[in-house]
Amino acid sequence: MTNEEIRTIFFAECEEALASAERALTVCQTSPDNMDAVNDVFRSVHSIKGGAGAFGYTALQVYTHGFETLLSDVRDGILPMSEDLLSLLLRALDLLGDHVGRALNGEPAPDDAAMIAQLAAAQAGNAASAETAAVVAAPVEAAPVEPSVPEASDPPAAEAESYDDLAFDLDAMLNDIATDIAPSKPAWRIGVTPQPAAMLNGGEPLLLLRELRALGDSTVRLDTSALPDLDAFDPQAAYLSWEVTLPGEVDRDAIEDVFGFSGDDLFVNIDTGASVPEAAAPEAPSAATEPPVAEAAPVAAPAPEQPVVAAAPPAPAAPVAAPAAAAEPAKPVLVATQPAPAAPVAAAAPAVPAAAAAPAAPAAPVSQSVRIDLRKLDQLIDTVGEMMIAQAMLGQHMGMHGLRNSSELAMLESLTRDVQERAMAIRAQPISTVFSRIPRLLRDLQASTGKNIRLEVSGESTEIDKTIIERLGDPLTHLIRNAADHGIEDAETRTAAGKDPEGTLRISAEQRSGRILIRIDDDGRGIDQAKVLKKAVEKGLVAPDANLSPDEINNLIFAPGFSTAEVVSSISGRGVGMDVVRQNVKDLGGRITVKTEPGAGTSFILTLPLTLAIADGMTVTVGSQTLVLPLSHIVENLRPGPSDIQRLGNGRLMLKARDRFIPVVDIARALGLDGQVSDPTQAVLIIVDTELAGQAALLVDSIVDQRQIVIKSLNANYRSVECVAGATILGDGRVALIVDIDGLVAAEAGTQSYREVA
Amino acid sequence: MTCAPDKTRILTVDDSPSMRALLMHALTAEGFHVDQADDGVSALDWLKENECDVVITDINMPRMDGFGLIENLRRDAIHDGRPILVLTTEASEEKKAQARRAGATGWIVKPFDAAKLAAAVRRVTH
Repeated sequence: MTNEEIRTIFFAECEEALASAERALTVCQTSPDNMDAVNDVFRSVHSIKGGAGAFGYTALQVYTHGFETLLSDVRDGILPMSEDLLSLLLRALDLLGDHVGRALNGEPAPDDAAMIAQLAAAQAGNAASAETAAVVAAPVEAAPVEPSVPEASDPPAAEAESYDDLAFDLDAMLNDIATDIAPSKPAWRIGVTPQPAAMLNGGEPLLLLRELRALGDSTVRLDTSALPDLDAFDPQAAYLSWEVTLPGEVDRDAIEDVFGFSGDDLFVNIDTGASVPEAAAPEAPSAATEPPVAEAAPVAAPAPEQPVVAAAPPAPAAPVAAPAAAAEPAKPVLVATQPAPAAPVAAAAPAVPAAAAAPAAPAAPVSQSVRIDLRKLDQLIDTVGEMMIAQAMLGQHMGMHGLRNSSELAMLESLTRDVQERAMAIRAQPISTVFSRIPRLLRDLQASTGKNIRLEVSGESTEIDKTIIERLGDPLTHLIRNAADHGIEDAETRTAAGKDPEGTLRISAEQRSGRILIRIDDDGRGIDQAKVLKKAVEKGLVAPDANLSPDEINNLIFAPGFSTAEVVSSISGRGVGMDVVRQNVKDLGGRITVKTEPGAGTSFILTLPLTLAIADGMTVTVGSQTLVLPLSHIVENLRPGPSDIQRLGNGRLMLKARDRFIPVVDIARALGLDGQVSDPTQAVLIIVDTELAGQAALLVDSIVDQRQIVIKSLNANYRSVECVAGATILGDGRVALIVDIDGLVAAEAGTQSYREVA
Repeated sequence: MTCAPDKTRILTVDDSPSMRALLMHALTAEGFHVDQADDGVSALDWLKENECDVVITDINMPRMDGFGLIENLRRDAIHDGRPILVLTTEASEEKKAQARRAGATGWIVKPFDAAKLAAAVRRVTH
């Protein structure tokens, strides 16, 4: 497996993680206390961060780190979930998606400084309030509060006992080994120890540390051993010291320059560490774990022993000093790896116990799966298609030799079908991958329209071809925007109409007879047919005297350039909407229909094929042509008797079937072919269902057979042709056109005025 | 599952497919025999039927996290001496201490360096 392949896996993983985080945040919306959901978000972001580090996407890693840090506070219950926080998390997730997308395309990372600052502020905001609480609580008794460095600071920690710190922290230990493997200059070790009075003189070690870190991959160790007990604490003195490790490649002059202006306030010791310290400069790959400047480090405990200043915020950059710098080897206590941005150490203290009680990971169903490059899958499907054609040819050939009924051929046919079905199943995905984005969309729409809309989704597990899923997003989004913008009324209008002030949007998917049915129902005002008709006449889409059925009027909204929105809103209604939606759905081999009831709501129904590649079809002959009719439309076929046919005045024929009249469509005439038969009683009528024009009876010469057809796109290979849905290769090697039954029947059965529109 | 007798057998436990692929790639190249599990539960299942010399586990995983896995393994006499390395993006001292309490042998912070990881495995197995 090459690095590139692993990288591909990483981005697929990112996509999943993003979707999963989105889903989990949606859950948080309805149940803010759902810690499992928060944990899911955390884990998703965390997994992106892990990969980002491994693949060297530093900006992505830094961003996810900030995001994750905030999330971990939420997860640990330190930061309560709120509407504002949720909104921030959603925006942060959007930017994360952007980050990932750009990393995938090799583009520079997006500008995330503002978001990182917001994330940090959200976290620090909480830290600040925790700290305020501490300041308020502490001074009363002036109790000897332990300087609030977390437990880890006690040098020979109670539990460190039998374990050797270093042996456990293999990373640090192995830096020696890594150095052996890839010999490089010995790392710099820079001891920075402010003189006790450094702060009084205006020195600011924080700035120096920042500059040092900018020189290269660094490790900063904070030494708090000089920190006195609280009652001996002088807020103006300096107690802390640092040891910064920098790669040996860094120029010594560059390091010295940093301290050029610090004068005598700092005791600086620059050492070409022949003896690399435990936490030596990590080699490049692992160095990436070092988050941005650990600004928390230099900030010492706030000085809560002065009751007078209880209300005043603690000095932001607090005192630092190190009296006994040389006396004894300082015990490094806190390796600064967490970038708690500007949060005083004190604030970190309460976090410790809570974080330690990390909740057990929730049981999430994990399915065994293998990732496959989509291209390979498409090749498989293609090959299966070719195999089906070959098998059909073989069948035809054997038929010519009287072997049509051989059991081997039957077995081969059944196996081919199995292989094809399994191959299709690999491409199938639950439609939830599209549906899961709807809650977020609706949330945004509610915010921008000010309407209250309840969402009901069902049938998310319905499976459909991945390509269709990918291309379903746009039309669905548009239909939902339409429903929220135009369909559902505002609360006052609804209340006045005696409806629930909260609107309802229902989205459902189901599989029905080899096709997928997706419905988008709203309980809004419905389509105002009078208005639609008026507009269509104004736009010259229909003749003013046209006599249209309600269905035909509804269908006008799909006409190019039609828009009924009185106010062109920012959300939808630029007049390019619905015809594009219809075209999108048509391109997927699907159909869209609309049903509406004034005052009660509108339903859009999309029917889509399960796959774009293979379908069941009936081959028929019309004159010299062999055509394929998609089986999904076919209801029944029959050879009519003379009494079954009624002739209308305009020369049209109607089929009387079970007490209903169905218009007869002569395919030969409609497509301009030479039909052998025009007398229906000598021909075969195939009754089909259509979305736009009800049922129709197609007149063909004869039926050849029924088979699976491999659909070859005309669009891709030639160009789009009216009434033709595609082409296929028959068993004898000839190409046959697949009839677009909806288009054909609509064109034939529609009134003259409607035909102009369509 | 066959494996050359002289090879050190490693079980890596990580829920991230790309991290698994990276580990597989890196450790195989270093001459180890690598098996993989995608979380603590499947690692325990795998270990019921198979053996390995070293376990390298992530911390944050669904179903059962790294801490849970380590605790489970340490409760079992068969596994109480097995080296278990934690490989995680977590770098906090408290998590480190928690892993140590659970019985981890060592702690390595992601992203890992292949040579270092291999050195770590050799160190804990020899």
